[in-house]
Amino acid sequence: MSVGDPLVRVDDLRKYFWEHDSLLDRLFGDEPVPVRAVDGVSFEIYEGETLGLVGESGCGKSTAGETMVRLQEPTDGRVEFDGEPVFALEGEALDAFRRAVQIVFQDPFSSLDPRMTVGDTVREPLDVHGVGTERERRDRVRDLLERVGLSADQFDRYPHEFSGGQRQRIGIARALAVEPEFVVLDEPTSALDVSVQAQVLNLLDDLQDEFDLTYLLISHDLSVIRHVCDRVAVMYLGEIVEIGPVDELFGAPKHPYTRALLESVPRASTDERERDRETLAGDVPSPRDPPSGCRFRTRCPMVIPPEGLDIERETYRELMTLRERIERRDVSLETVDTDEQFDIDDGASDEDVPAATAALKDRLLESELPPRHEAVVDEALAELTAGNWAAAADRLRAEYESVCEREAPGLGDGSHPVACHLHGAAAERTDGPSSWT
Amino acid sequence: MTTPDDILRVRDLSTRFFTQEGQINAVSELDVRIERGEVFGIVGESGSGKSVTARSIMDLVESPGRITDGEIWFDDAELADAVGDDYPDAVDGTLVNLLELPERVRDSLRGTAFSMIFQDPESSFNPTLTVGEQLAEAVEVQRRASANPRSTRARTREYSLASYALSTVLPSRKYVTPESRERAIELLELVGIPDPVKRADEYPHEYSGGMLQRAMIAQALAGEPDVLIADEPTTALDVTIQAQILDLLDDLQAETGMTILLITHNLGVIARMCDRVGVMYAGEIVERGTLADVFDDHVHPYTEGLLGSIPDLEGARGRLEPIPGNVPSLLDEEMADRCRFADRCPKAMEDCLEHPPEYPAAGSDHHEARCVLAETTYDETRALSEDHFGETERPAADKHAGPEEPDEEPPEEQSHPPTETTGGEHQ
Repeated sequence: MSVGDPLVRVDDLRKYFWEHDSLLDRLFGDEPVPVRAVDGVSFEIYEGETLGLVGESGCGKSTAGETMVRLQEPTDGRVEFDGEPVFALEGEALDAFRRAVQIVFQDPFSSLDPRMTVGDTVREPLDVHGVGTERERRDRVRDLLERVGLSADQFDRYPHEFSGGQRQRIGIARALAVEPEFVVLDEPTSALDVSVQAQVLNLLDDLQDEFDLTYLLISHDLSVIRHVCDRVAVMYLGEIVEIGPVDELFGAPKHPYTRALLESVPRASTDERERDRETLAGDVPSPRDPPSGCRFRTRCPMVIPPEGLDIERETYRELMTLRERIERRDVSLETVDTDEQFDIDDGASDEDVPAATAALKDRLLESELPPRHEAVVDEALAELTAGNWAAAADRLRAEYESVCEREAPGLGDGSHPVACHLHGAAAERTDGPSSWT
Repeated sequence: MTTPDDILRVRDLSTRFFTQEGQINAVSELDVRIERGEVFGIVGESGSGKSVTARSIMDLVESPGRITDGEIWFDDAELADAVGDDYPDAVDGTLVNLLELPERVRDSLRGTAFSMIFQDPESSFNPTLTVGEQLAEAVEVQRRASANPRSTRARTREYSLASYALSTVLPSRKYVTPESRERAIELLELVGIPDPVKRADEYPHEYSGGMLQRAMIAQALAGEPDVLIADEPTTALDVTIQAQILDLLDDLQAETGMTILLITHNLGVIARMCDRVGVMYAGEIVERGTLADVFDDHVHPYTEGLLGSIPDLEGARGRLEPIPGNVPSLLDEEMADRCRFADRCPKAMEDCLEHPPEYPAAGSDHHEARCVLAETTYDETRALSEDHFGETERPAADKHAGPEEPDEEPPEEQSHPPTETTGGEHQ
C-alpha cells in the first residue's frame, strides 16, 4: 500500500506538560518539571490504511493523537499532512486542514453537548465550515444519521435519550459530516459493551471502505487493534517501541514489551488456564523521570547482561530490580530489624553487619544466587546497612551495568522496526534473542 | 440438587429498584449454587444485573433498591448453631438463610464470611488515611467481631456521638493497635507489595492503581472470609497489571482454599479464572455450566453472540458478528413475559414468546440454558418475522406477549431510553 508519499508523516513529535510552572512556583524559584507525555515519536500513515497506536494508560497515545491534529500545542517536532507542515498552517489552509482531519473521542457521554439536539450536533461542523445551504445541510445530516445506523427521525432528540453505542454513532456522524480524509479514533469503543463494540467496529470498517478514509486508531485493547488495523505502533512511556504490519507484529512480536502485552491478554477460550504466560512485574515508571536508555529496561525480562557475565536471565533480572530499588533509595532499612536486634538507623555497628546484611538479602531477593554474585551482593548490601546508598549502588553498577541503561535503542528503518538492543548492534555482541526464547 | 459441598445457594433472588421511572427489575428470580472452594464467574454486559447480584449477596443494595424476594442460604455450621435458637426459621441443618437474619447479624458476617473487592481501587480507599491504617482498621474490626461473635452491640455502644465527633478529627487511629498494624503489614506482604513496612505508612495517592488493587484485596482478606466476591476486580487496570492481579487472586485462592465469586464483563478473565460460569442477561442467568459448556458447547444465542463479538487476538480477521440492538430496559412495565433476548435473537421462534425455564443442556451435569433451543432444534418455519418486535429497539411495542408480571406498584407512564451503559465499566 505504500505507493507514493504518506498522507501523514509524524517526525520526532514531542509534547511535554510542565509541572511547577505557575507564577508562584517561579517566584519561589521552583524549577519546572517536564512530564514527557510524548517524547520523540515518529511514524507515517499511508492513504487508506488504518494505523493502530496501542499502549497502556499513561503511555502518551492519546496525547500523540491530539497533538498531531493540533488540539494540543506541540513542544517540538514536525507533522506533515498531505505534504504540508501542520504546525505552520494558518488562515484558510488551517481551516482546510481541520475539515480534512476529524477526531472521534472516547467518551460518548461527555463528548456530546447535552443541550444540543442530535441534528444540531452533527450539523455544527457543517455550519462552522459553511458547507452548502441550510437545506442541504439538513439533508446531509439526515443521510449521515441513517448511514451510521440511526434513524433520521431521531434528528430532534437529545443525547440523553440515546444509549452509549448510539451516542458513539452520533460522534462518528459528526466527524464524517465535513467529509474528512483522515480520522483519529481515540478509544472509540472502550466505553462500550462488547456486543455494541462489535457493531461500532463493523460500522467503522464499512465507512472506511465507503468514504476512502484513513484512520489512526488509538486503543489499549489489543484485540480491537488486531481486528481493525493494517499496521500497529506500540507505545511505552512516550516512545514507540515497535511498528509493524499487524500480522507480523502479533504473530512474531520483536520487542519484549510487545510480547509481554500480548501474553497478558486473557483469551476467551477454554485452554486459557493452561496457556503459558509470563507476566510483567512492577508498574510503569513515571514520565517525569523516565529511566535512562531503554525505558522498558526496569521491567524487561530480557534485559541484557554485560558481556562475558555468566548469569541466568531470571537472576539478572532480579539483581537489576534490586539495583533499581537501591538507586531510587526505595528500601527501608529500619525494617530489617524485625526482632529489634540491630539498630541500623544511623548505620549498623560492625558486629551486626553480617546479620543485618543477611536479613536484608533475605527480604530483597527471592532466589538463591550463584556464589560469585552472592559475594558482590553481600558487599553492596553491607554498604547499604552502613547507610552508604551511593556506594552500594556503585558496587552493583560496576558489576552489572547493562547496555540497556547506557544507550537508548533507536527505532530502526524498514517495514517492522523495533527499538530494542536485542535486535540492534548490541544483539551481535551478546547471545542474541534466539537463545532466550 | 442438594450437594453437601455447596457453600452458598441463592434461590429465587429478586432485587428491584423503585425509581421515578418505575420499578426496575435488576435481578429477577435468580438461582445460583456456589461450591466450596471453586471460582464461580458471572459474566454479562452493563445493566445485566451482575453487580446487583453481588451486592445482594453482600447485603449492600442501597435505596431505592431492595431485595424483594428470595433466599440466600449460606453453609456454616457454627453460624447455624449460634443463631438457631433465636431464628429457627432461618436455619436448615448447617444452612442459614441470610435474608431471615436481622441486620446486625448480617453485619457481623461482612468481612468474616463474605468480603468484597470493588472495581475502582482509587475511589474505594479513604484518601486521608494511610493504607496501613485502613488495613489495620479492617483487621481490628474483624478481631473484635470474632472476639464477640454474632453481635456487634459492643461496637455500636462504643460508637457514641462523642466518638463520632472525635473520629472526624482523629480518624481511625483508635483501631490501630500494634498487633493490628503488624497484621496489616503481613497482609500487604501476602498480596505482594514490596517493602510493606514502608508502604503501610503511605497514603492511597502514593500507590499505583495495581498496588491499590492489591491493597484492597489485602483488606478483603483481613477477616479471612469464606467467600470473596470480586466485582470487576481488574476492569480499571491495564492488561499487564490485570495479569498480575489475576495471578495473585489465583495464588491466594490456591493457598487459602476460599471460594471466589468473580463478576466481570470480560470473557477472557472468566476463561482465565473460573471453574464454572453463569452468563447473565437482563437480570437472569441465561446459560450456566463449566467453562467448556459455555465456551465450546453453548446453546443460548446470547452466549454465542457475546463470544462472536470479541475480536480474536490470534488473528483471522473476519467480520465480527455482533448482537443487533441494545441491552433491554429492565423497567417492569416494559418487560414482557417472554424470552428476554427474543427481540435481539437471530433464532427467535414462536416458542420464545413464552418465558423459558432453565433446560438441562448437553455437556456436563452443570450445563443449563434458559432457551428453547436446548430442547428443540431451530425450525425456520416457526421463526418470528423480523419486524415482530417493531422497528424500535425497545420491546415496548410488543403487544403480542402475555400479561405483565404481577406487580404491586402501578407502573408510571414514562418513556425510558434503552439502558445500555450505566457507567458500570469504563475502559
